Parts: sequence; structure tokens; C-alpha cells
Amino acid sequence: MNWILGPMLLILLIPIYETFQDKDIWQKMLAFASVSTKTSIMILVISVLRDDWMIGLVGVLILSVGNASLMLLAQVLKRVNEL
Amino acid sequence: MMDQLVNIVSNGCIGAGLVLWLWGTWPLVGPRSVLYKLHTLSMADTLGSVAIVVGLLLRIPSEWPLLVMALISLAIWNTILGYVLAYCSTEEPND
Repeated sequence: MNWILGPMLLILLIPIYETFQDKDIWQKMLAFASVSTKTSIMILVISVLRDDWMIGLVGVLILSVGNASLMLLAQVLKRVNEL
Repeated sequence: MMDQLVNIVSNGCIGAGLVLWLWGTWPLVGPRSVLYKLHTLSMADTLGSVAIVVGLLLRIPSEWPLLVMALISLAIWNTILGYVLAYCSTEEPND
């Protein structure tokens, strides 16, 4: 099952590249939202490979808290843009 | 025999998830609008991640509580995040 992590890492590079090359803040937010989801799924895959469920718990927490913080950041950006 | 079948289906789910990830992430680099990218990205990320987690669930059913929690938080959080990003990124017309 180790074959999964290689393509996952390669696909993860696309949004990371997008965060560098785009100047628009909302395109960057999209890329970071994608990076956060993908990394938390990769953490889940690694926890299955190692059969260590504390790592899996961290992956699920990152999934929830990561997306929640991106939502707050989007709200802050919207308010700042309105000033 | 049964184990082989489960492994094949599990690998199939994970492979499909990776294809969905790639399909949804590819337009991110292009010149399209934020909402277009958001639509393909949030759909493909959510469905691809759910397919990968289902593939993992088939492989180790003993840890189903944690993986079901991941499935639920994926379905809820990704969808809501897509909505919030769409709402925040669109400029409201000044009345």
C-alpha cells in the first residue's frame, strides 16, 4: 500500500505551486484549502500504514480545525476588503 | 480469495480517489475564475478524499470509528468551507 504516498505527494505539489504563482488572495485561499484537506488525508493513510491510531486522530483533528480556521480567515479577509 | 477481492476493491477506491484529486486540482493552475476553480476543487477534493478513506476502511475495518469520523468531518467541513469561500470571495454590489 506504500504506492499511494508517491502520487499523493505529487498531486499535493500542484496547489503548493499555485500559492506561489497567483497574486489573487482568493486563489491562494483555494490552494491552501486544498493543501489542508490533502495533507490530512495523507496523515490518515500514514496512520493506516503504521497502524498507529494517535496519528489518525491528529489527521481527523487537522481536517476539522484546519478547515474551520480557513473559514474564519475568509471572513476576516472579507471584512478587511470592505473597509 | 475474499482477502484478494477486498484488496482489489480497496486499491480501486484509493486509485479512483487519486484520479479525482488530480482532476479537481489540475484547473487550479489555469486562468479560470475563483468560483469555477472552487466548484471543481471542492467537489473533487471531497469525493476523492471520501473514496480514499473508504479504501482505507476496507483495508482495516477494525478502526472503523476513527475513519467514519473522518468521513463525516470531510463531508461536512469541506462542503461548508466551499460555501464560505464562495460567499466571501464574491463582491456584493453596492446598493
